[in-house]
Formats: sequence, structure tokens, C-alpha cells
Amino acid sequence: MDSSLNKSDQIVETHNFVNTNLDLFENILNSLESVSAEAKSFLKEKVSSEGKVSNQLLEKHQHEGHGYAWFETYRIALRETLNWFKTLKKLDKSTKLESGILIFSFAEYLCQMRSGIMMSQTEIIRPENLGISNQSFSFCDSPDVAKLVKLGLSETVKLEIVESLENGFFPNLGLNDETLEMIQDQFKKFTDEEIVPNANEWHLKDDLIPDEVLKKMSELGVFSIAIPENYGGLGMGKVAMCVVTEELSRGFLAAGSLGTRAEIAGELIRLGGTEEQKNKYLPEIASGNILTTAVFTEPNTGSDLGNLSTRAQLDGDSYIINGNKTWITHGARSDLMTVLARTDSNQKGYRGLSMFLVDKPRGNCENPFPMEGMSGSEIEVLGYRGMKEYEIALDSIKVSKKNLLGEEEGKGFKQLMETFESARIQTAARAVGVSQNALELGLQYAKDRSQFGKSIIKFSRIYNKLAWMVMETTVARQITLFSAREKDNDIRCDIEAGMAKLLAARVAWSSADSALQIHGGNGYALEYPVSRVLCDSRILNIFEGAAEIQAQIVIKGLLGK
Amino acid sequence: MKALVCVKRVIDYNVKIRVKTDKSGVETENVKMSMNPFDEIAVEEAVKLKEKGVIDEIIVLSIGAETSQETIRTGLAMGGDRGVLVKTNGQEIDPLNVGKIIKYIFDKESPDMVILGKQAIDDDCNQTGQILSSLLDCHQATFASKVEVNDDKTINVTREVDGGLETIKISIPCVITTDLRLNEPRYASLPNIMKAKQKKIDILDINDLNIDIKRRVETIEVSEPPERKPGVIVNDVDSLIDKLKNEANVI
Repeated sequence: MDSSLNKSDQIVETHNFVNTNLDLFENILNSLESVSAEAKSFLKEKVSSEGKVSNQLLEKHQHEGHGYAWFETYRIALRETLNWFKTLKKLDKSTKLESGILIFSFAEYLCQMRSGIMMSQTEIIRPENLGISNQSFSFCDSPDVAKLVKLGLSETVKLEIVESLENGFFPNLGLNDETLEMIQDQFKKFTDEEIVPNANEWHLKDDLIPDEVLKKMSELGVFSIAIPENYGGLGMGKVAMCVVTEELSRGFLAAGSLGTRAEIAGELIRLGGTEEQKNKYLPEIASGNILTTAVFTEPNTGSDLGNLSTRAQLDGDSYIINGNKTWITHGARSDLMTVLARTDSNQKGYRGLSMFLVDKPRGNCENPFPMEGMSGSEIEVLGYRGMKEYEIALDSIKVSKKNLLGEEEGKGFKQLMETFESARIQTAARAVGVSQNALELGLQYAKDRSQFGKSIIKFSRIYNKLAWMVMETTVARQITLFSAREKDNDIRCDIEAGMAKLLAARVAWSSADSALQIHGGNGYALEYPVSRVLCDSRILNIFEGAAEIQAQIVIKGLLGK
Repeated sequence: MKALVCVKRVIDYNVKIRVKTDKSGVETENVKMSMNPFDEIAVEEAVKLKEKGVIDEIIVLSIGAETSQETIRTGLAMGGDRGVLVKTNGQEIDPLNVGKIIKYIFDKESPDMVILGKQAIDDDCNQTGQILSSLLDCHQATFASKVEVNDDKTINVTREVDGGLETIKISIPCVITTDLRLNEPRYASLPNIMKAKQKKIDILDINDLNIDIKRRVETIEVSEPPERKPGVIVNDVDSLIDKLKNEANVI
């Protein structure tokens, strides 16, 4: 039999199978919902005491709890990947590439849910940890589902996916909106022309992203996306923010992260500020005239913000702030700090915390902190360069009462919490961008590099990696866009936003690792951009809620439902 | 002054072109489309002239399917004022007929200049600007690398010609076709993308224009370029000469 004919027959078969069996995908999701309910009641029983979820018990069963968060993350991610495909199909925009990715994602994730999900490279959650019996997964043994898995995991599908990539076809992003597509197009161009050619040099020299690039980004409107129109912004919402963030991060993580700072400060002020504070700061943030920096973390207080020790003491009409802060991104070249400090020392935990808007003169690399009472030193880091990280000391910084956010004490933690949804969605979009960057670098190298008489992309160990990368990048993108849409529709989505961040960060790291592997020894050389992408991707599992904290947030949300 | 800028929707330059299985043309279904890069330069030049105060209004024209509205919208986001789409029904349109359609819009709008790309990257015809200027019986300046409007409304256009640059002076109305080095097109900013949503695009049906659009050129077949054969490594100069003589028959 002609083997090439055999292959194209199989492709057609897979494509037809997907398009005529979308109900089957739906049924799988329904079955997974029942499995999930089973796991949830098992877990609830383990971690509840007197009918209420006990934090102590949850800590005791942390592995299972977080494992369930991952299980649900997979389920929601698959649901959104199916929705992505169905919408494309309805619009007559789906191709073999998208149907290949859909069936591959379902087959792979379903197998993992049935046998073990990698929460990290060294921790696997098994169904038995979640009280899921083998019987619960018996739906996988039906001929239809078994066929789906077989087709979805076949090398033919992966090869077909990668052949599309080779020809310049990438999966449809699923924006399905002319304006969003134009935004994506323009920012793709900007990134390809202004960021990509310079990113590695900025990284290797440990430079700040140049002022002129910041200026261009301000002119393009990067900092005004989420700020309402009546405060000088564009009020465009989170989906637009995700599109811009993904594109910029695809060029350089820090480029996509500049917007995060404006996003955090903008959301803090928009949601918690007084009218005067909004009028004063929001237009300036939107125009890019003032750059902001988030000053929350302390040397001994990372994820556990309730233990924060920086003090802000009222003295007449002013507060005097004293304390040490760390991991202050873009701490020098910024004009406004959002500082979290304790105003009530009698109140332990979150309740005594307040948020301050502290103006500061903009510093530079030579003179990072030209302000009396403020000093600090740079923290040298593996990646995520371009803005620089600092450890700073605040020594009797005097701030007017008017700069207390909302002019109300004790609201700091709540105000910060309100920004978490947006920040997580934005961070998930950053991770998707980094993953896409890794995919593109790996793909290009695999096409160009020839060994044993052929381009290495023709070897299955190479194209399998690329197929996996594009599949997972797509899945992560769809759960991210879903959260963004929910947020734009004012639907609470803290759990989904956490899931998106959790998954996208893992995907970015594994994509970067695979892309580097494809490069072989060259990937380990600093001159190849993939080495930078590996360093950059590593932070995604740590900042904006480390993977462990993120899973904790998700499980607490799920059990609280 | 008023400028008419023509933009064509073409397959994005990053995409590998695939020939349809029946060899009647190239595959465009679910393929990423973009504005012809030379037309982007044309839009940019018009916007620059507007920023200098030379031009008051920029009309962005496209001829094509309904989806060409997106391409017009990009032109509006870059700084165009309003759009016109002449809607076709999927048929191929020869450069002469494109010229006739542009003339129809020209007669309606009376612009002082028509700016368009020197060629489209899909069919590489490089004819429309020249044909249009004949139909309009007006001055033309093709392959422009610099455009300067003088106080008396004449225009100095520097052209890229074999062996160097040539500067000519033309008077309005005129047709200018743009070359690669004329300018660097801007990115449409988010505020301008939002503004472009409000700008008007008039849609005309090609059948209502009373223009004979019968094709004069027939496409017989479209085929892929032959696949490049792998090279061989020769051991010495003698075997190289031998191969060039006896296998390649080039010496």
C-alpha cells in the first residue's frame, strides 16, 4: 500500500471524525463533570470538619487538594478548547489544523486525567489520590472514545499539525472580532519590528527597555487599554488587554509586563480610589506619562501578605512610612509607587493594612532612587529583565493623608484583592505569549537545522514536541481568553483566572524547555534567543501567585462554591 | 487637496502560498490576509501629507469581496478619513478593469491625487497605476521614493530608476505609485483603531457601475515552483568541472 496515501487518508478520517462527532466531545465533558463531582465530594469529606472546610485539614491534604485544582483546570481548559473549535466551525473558519489540535488536546488531557496529571515535573496527581475509581473512567473504554484517543494521539495528526506550522499556518486565535484581529495584527507587526530584533541584546546587557520604545508603546495606547474613557483611557476591556499582552510578551516578557504595572495601579485606583485620586492619576497612567511600580512584597512576606510589617503611622496630616520591601519590579524608572503598609499595628493579619499612592522622582540605572529616605539595591536575576528588580528601604517617607487610597484605612488588602483577577488574566496572557515565542523559535530552528541529510523537523521526536507546544499553547490561550471574556461581562472569574495562570505558566515553561531541546547545544548558547526565553519563562510559575499558591486559591474557590 | 488611496487585500507575505488542487489559482480560504505592503506605503504617504497640511481628506478605496472592508478599516485606522468598497463577487479582475473602476470612483470624488502601490504582491502585475493615468489622461509618477508637494500644487516626485534616482515634476490631478523606500508605514494605535470603527465605508456593487469587467486574460494554469533538488558535494575541482560539463551541460 502507498504509505503517503495511507497518511492522507488518516488525516481526512481524523478531520471527518472531529467534525461529525462534536457531540462525543461534549459527552466526554459531561462524563468528566461527573468524575469531578465524585472527586470533589471525596475531597470535601477529607478536608471538612463539622461541615465546614478546615484550613488545617486542607493543608494536611495539600497534594490532593491542589491535584483537584489541576483536574478542574484541565476540564475547564478542554471545555474552552471545544468552545473555541465550535465557534470557528460555525463561522466556517476551522481547518484541519484546528481539528487536529482539538482531538490531540482531548486525547492527551483525557489520558492524563485518567492516569496522572503533572502538577510540576516532580509531582503527579493520580486519580486514586482523588478517590476516583477506575469504574468512573469506564466511559473512556467505549469504542467512540477509544477511537478518539487513538486518532488524537497518533503521530499522523501531530505531523499534520506541524506541517501546517511549517507552511506559516498557525491556529486561529479565536478572537472572531474584526477590531481585536486588527489590534493583534498591528501589535504583531510592532513586536516583530521593534521588540524581537532587540530583545536578546536588552537581556544580555541587562538593559532597561529603552525610553524610546516605551514612548512608542505609550503612543500605541498600551497603558490606556483598561483605564475608563472618562479618565483618559480607552476602556477596552480584558480581551483586548490579553491580545496586546500576548503579542508584546511574544517578543520579550518585560515588554508584555510593562502593561501589568499600569494595570495593577490603574485597577487599584479605578476600584479603590477617591474621585480626586482617579482624576489625578488615571489620565497620567493612561498616557504613559507616569510609570508605576507595585511595592507589596517584603523580605519575609511573599505569598503571606497578612504578615506584612512595613508601617505607616499617622502624624498630623501625613503618614510616615518605614519598612523594607523587595522584588520591586521597575522600581527605579517609575514615578508612582503603590505601597502596601500597616496602618494599625494592633490589627494583625490583613485588616490593619492600607494602600498608599506615593509619588517619587523617576530614577535611572546610575541614580536609581533620587529621593530622601528611599534607598535600594538591584537584585540580579536569571531572566525577566528589561525593567530591573530592586530591594528597597523606606525610611520615614512622608505621605499626605490624601494619598491613602480611597482615603480610608484598613482597606489595603481588599483593594489589592480586587485587582487579582485582572492581574492573573494578564499574567496568563503573558505566559501564552512566551509559550508562542518558544514555539516559533523551536519551529524555525527545526526547519533550518539539517542533520543526517534532512531537516530535523522531519524527525518525530522533533515534530512531536512542536505539536505538543502548539496544542498546549492553544489550550492555555483559550482558557485565558475565556476568563477575559467573563471579566468583560462582569462575571466573577477569579477561579478561572487562577486556572488560566496556573496552566499557562506550566505550558510556557515546558514549551521553552522543548524549544531549547530542539536547538541542542546551540540552545544553551546565550546568543540564541531561546536561552533567554527559557530564563524568562521560569518566572511565570513564580510571580503573581506561585503555582502552589495559585492551586491553593483555585481549590479554596472550588470548595467554597 | 484630496487623495484617493487604493488598497488591495492579499495573502499575508508570511504565509506560504499553496496552489489549489485543480490548479485554477491559489488557496485563499482560511489563509491570513493583509493589506498589500506597497499599498500600506501609499496610505502612510497620504497620512503624512495630511499631517503636513497638504491634504485635507483621504479616501481609502478597495475592490474586492466583502472582507476587503477589513483592509479598508486598517487604512482608516492608519489615518484615512473614509472608505469606499467596490464589492465584487469573487471574480478575478484584470488591471485594465481595475483601472476603469478606480476611474469611476475618481470621477465621482474628484481627488487631486491617486496614490497606490506600484504592484500587488499576489499577481505582481505592476500595471494598474500606469493604466489608470492613461484612462484619466493625467500625469503619473511611478516607483516613487520621495514625494514633495510644492506651493503651486505641483509635485516633485523622486523615482527609483535603473542606475539611480530621477526627480520629475508633475501637476495635479495625478497618479503616484509607491516604491518600497518611500516611507515606513506606521502601526495603527489603539485609539486610532477605536476611532476607525466610527468611520464610514460606502459599499458599491460592481454590477451597478455599468463597467464591462470581462476578462481579457485567461489563466490557463497555476502551478507550484519546481521543488529544489538536493545538491551534491564534490571532492575536487576536476569532478566539479566534469559535472558542470557532462551533467549540467553548462560549460
